Amino acid sequence: MSNTSIISDKQKSTADITPLALFSKYRLAGFYLAISLIVLSIIGLGFKGLNLGLDFTGGYMTEFTTSLSIDKGQMQTQLATHLSGDFELNSGAANTQWTIRQTDGTAHVIDKDWLNNFATQSGYDITPQDSVYIGSQVGSELIDNGGLALLVAAIAMMVYLTWRFEWRLACGSLVALVHDVLVVLGLFSWLGLPFDLTVLAAVLAIIGYSLNDSIVIGDKLREVMRSKTNMNMSDIVDSAVKSTLTRSLITSGTTLATIGAIWIFGGQPLQAFAIALFAGVVFGTLSSIAVSATIPQLIGLNPEFYQHRAQELLVNDEP
Amino acid sequence: MRKTTAKPKHTWQILVIIITVVILGLNAIPTLYGNNNALLVSGVNSTQPLPSIQQLRDVMQQQNIQVKQIINGDADSKIVIDGDDEALVHAQQQLKSELGDDYQVRLGNQSAAPKWLQELGMSPIKLGLDLSGGVLFVLEVDTDRADQERLANAKDETLQIIHDHGLRGMSVKMAGTENNLVSKADVTTKNPVAQTETEGKLDLHFLSHQAAKVKAVVTDLQQRLPSITYSKTGERSATLAFSEQSITTFHHEIMAQALTTLRGRIEELGITEAVTQRQGQSRIRIELPGVKDPEQAKRIIGATASLDFYEMANSGTMGAKSFTDEDGRHLRVAPKPIFTGSNIENANSGRDEMGIALVNLTLDGIGGKKMSEFSRDNIGNPMVTIFSEYHKNSADEMIKNSRVISVATIQSQLGNRFSITGLDSPQAASDLALLLRAGSLDAPITIVQQRTIQASLGKENVNNGIMALAIGLGITLVFMGLWYRKLGLIANTSLVLNLVCLLGLMALLPNVVLTLPGIAGLVLTVGMAVDTNVLIFERIKEERKRGRSNFLAIETGYKEAFATILDANVTTMITALILLSIGYGPVKGFAMTLSLGILTSMFTGVFVAHVLTYIVKPQIAVKQKELKA
Repeated sequence: MSNTSIISDKQKSTADITPLALFSKYRLAGFYLAISLIVLSIIGLGFKGLNLGLDFTGGYMTEFTTSLSIDKGQMQTQLATHLSGDFELNSGAANTQWTIRQTDGTAHVIDKDWLNNFATQSGYDITPQDSVYIGSQVGSELIDNGGLALLVAAIAMMVYLTWRFEWRLACGSLVALVHDVLVVLGLFSWLGLPFDLTVLAAVLAIIGYSLNDSIVIGDKLREVMRSKTNMNMSDIVDSAVKSTLTRSLITSGTTLATIGAIWIFGGQPLQAFAIALFAGVVFGTLSSIAVSATIPQLIGLNPEFYQHRAQELLVNDEP
Repeated sequence: MRKTTAKPKHTWQILVIIITVVILGLNAIPTLYGNNNALLVSGVNSTQPLPSIQQLRDVMQQQNIQVKQIINGDADSKIVIDGDDEALVHAQQQLKSELGDDYQVRLGNQSAAPKWLQELGMSPIKLGLDLSGGVLFVLEVDTDRADQERLANAKDETLQIIHDHGLRGMSVKMAGTENNLVSKADVTTKNPVAQTETEGKLDLHFLSHQAAKVKAVVTDLQQRLPSITYSKTGERSATLAFSEQSITTFHHEIMAQALTTLRGRIEELGITEAVTQRQGQSRIRIELPGVKDPEQAKRIIGATASLDFYEMANSGTMGAKSFTDEDGRHLRVAPKPIFTGSNIENANSGRDEMGIALVNLTLDGIGGKKMSEFSRDNIGNPMVTIFSEYHKNSADEMIKNSRVISVATIQSQLGNRFSITGLDSPQAASDLALLLRAGSLDAPITIVQQRTIQASLGKENVNNGIMALAIGLGITLVFMGLWYRKLGLIANTSLVLNLVCLLGLMALLPNVVLTLPGIAGLVLTVGMAVDTNVLIFERIKEERKRGRSNFLAIETGYKEAFATILDANVTTMITALILLSIGYGPVKGFAMTLSLGILTSMFTGVFVAHVLTYIVKPQIAVKQKELKA
């Protein structure tokens, strides 16, 4: 095995130098892009915050459909005359699907009877669909719970990766993971998209996806480091990333196709979920190419480490 | 191209694959057929004969409802109908009015799969609330309130003991309530910090010469309530409290009692497929798929009712409770009930010979013994029945509302069967009987979350989700076929098998429900499964470029890629398992499909695809200029 790779090295060193250097430039550009995206996301989260959904804030949500399309402004004013207190109206599917949100503790809660009354008074053909009440104390618990899950997951994975690989590679994976999560959260805050439980599930899925990517690249990086000692670190990272590029693109592409289908056909309840997952996969691919292998290089991972390790293993293997 | 002469045989691998795929595949089939709506008819008493099939068929025919099948079971008859939810509810109402009060008619469903599959015990995947429609309740059990009640009982016990010992001047009060202004003043002057620490404790005050006798009182008390701890706080004062450990056990008991009671109540409502589980410290999550009327469910589930039977207090009793009955008479009763609603085994409503509504009670062994002993000693004395319920007032506080149901004179020694008479109406009697049957709840519960999803929305969610999944999968299959050709076909076969196995596994395992986030978990699983194949195939291509033979390249490809795949899957599995243990509701549904999906995708992606590759023996072509050797 080492024979073939040394031969291919020589070939690379003569033929591939320029493309590899060019690739390195792209990779670094991608790294800076990722860093600026993180900064942007933090600014967004700091100043705009997340548009937390009902799951987190608590309150009432009522969904109903009308058989005919009704002007949103008209619906708003008609509802306002019947409802005391604040409410938020949203419409979908060409103004036939309606969602009303009220805060917890509101004076007038919409229920089935209220909707029936409203239907007879306004003359609309209304079918109730979904009604949710969530106490305001549920949300903070959910955030604590979700935060705890994220923290425990991150620690468990750091431990596993440090054991299987090396702490600098684990750091790289962690930074890539933080990047992916932050950027998706930042996107949701900048666009003001509602952050609900399904989006939380998407963020968790992104963590899994991001790790998967980082591990594949870390694995390759380790392999290249073991076999090609005469290359400098930057070239090693480049060749590792490059050789996994096809795989990254195919996997991301097919996953994006499925997520795209959910985005388009999944209907209202899965919309935010699909957007979060789509963004997560796109940025996750970027970070796996530009961040997860670059960080170990920056904090001083070099081929000698695995040389030493290989020798140690050899020594240990001998009885 | 070197062909292997000693071709390895994979008989046992092929056997394992065939057996697994057949078993899981069979389990997956009923899901494709879906469910039919059904009605369950059962008698109120188990001895009652079920209505004949002909009778049921006639009722259905009168209402123009297509009957698919009537299954007569041991305890109930199942009528499978061909119609939507509206027809089902209509049929239920008709049956109820035809059969009268002696029969219960519940809603249910029946798998539409062929009979032989059902006989093998295979059923479709259970759908979560968001996919089937129904009601979700999250209830909070007020453990603080229960703690207070328990402390108040301890106070009553202490008062009784003090009285029995004849210790005048010794007093016991709940700490931190307004009726112990003296002790509060004491505390603030001596030690201002102590105020918060006295929450959930009893303050004991005694005269200086009684100090020696306090010990005896405490020992007596500890005999009755072993978990009480005693600590001296001053010359003439001490505090009594329950130990930390006993409070934890107590909370645990309350939650267990609440869960059992709620399950009982849901059964009484005739909902068969409910999910009732504990969520966090003091919450209970109830999912009622297929419930059309949330208000009725809410009324029964949300009620905290308890029934206590008291002896009348005589003048010497300390800590007597007083109640006011409907005629405005004040009744003083003993501090401790003779027995409580938790001793009730069964309750039925009925009428006495005068036509007045009553409830017939059957007590369990302990209750029966207590009742028999008490009634033997108290013939001619009255017994007071108190019904307590928690209500929310306008300020959102829980208020305990106690009502005297009856003051009955004990005519003779009673056993474990007797009646509560003098109820207002038959409706009141049957409501009371239902609540008593379903058990009483000592700790008040409040609804912190409620969600009602119409079945039509659920159906739409299922259709959308499946369509999206099918389209995504279609694109993936086409792409893989085009990109990897023969290897792509292997990948596609293993992908499809992966989905079949996953669906089968989900149908097979109990407690697995498919939810909307679960469908999302399926998406990620498909992505991971594709990744597994891509990693292997890219590796094989790489090995070919290094000049390995076709066979060796495939062999090394699978071997080398496996480490990467294992690492990737293990880390994702860690995430999934953490989510599974910490999360609930939608997060749990997602984690469930993801973790099962990782298992099946490892099986199909690595194991099945490997064997398939051996059987198909695809030639991986390498362009001459790509060869690096």
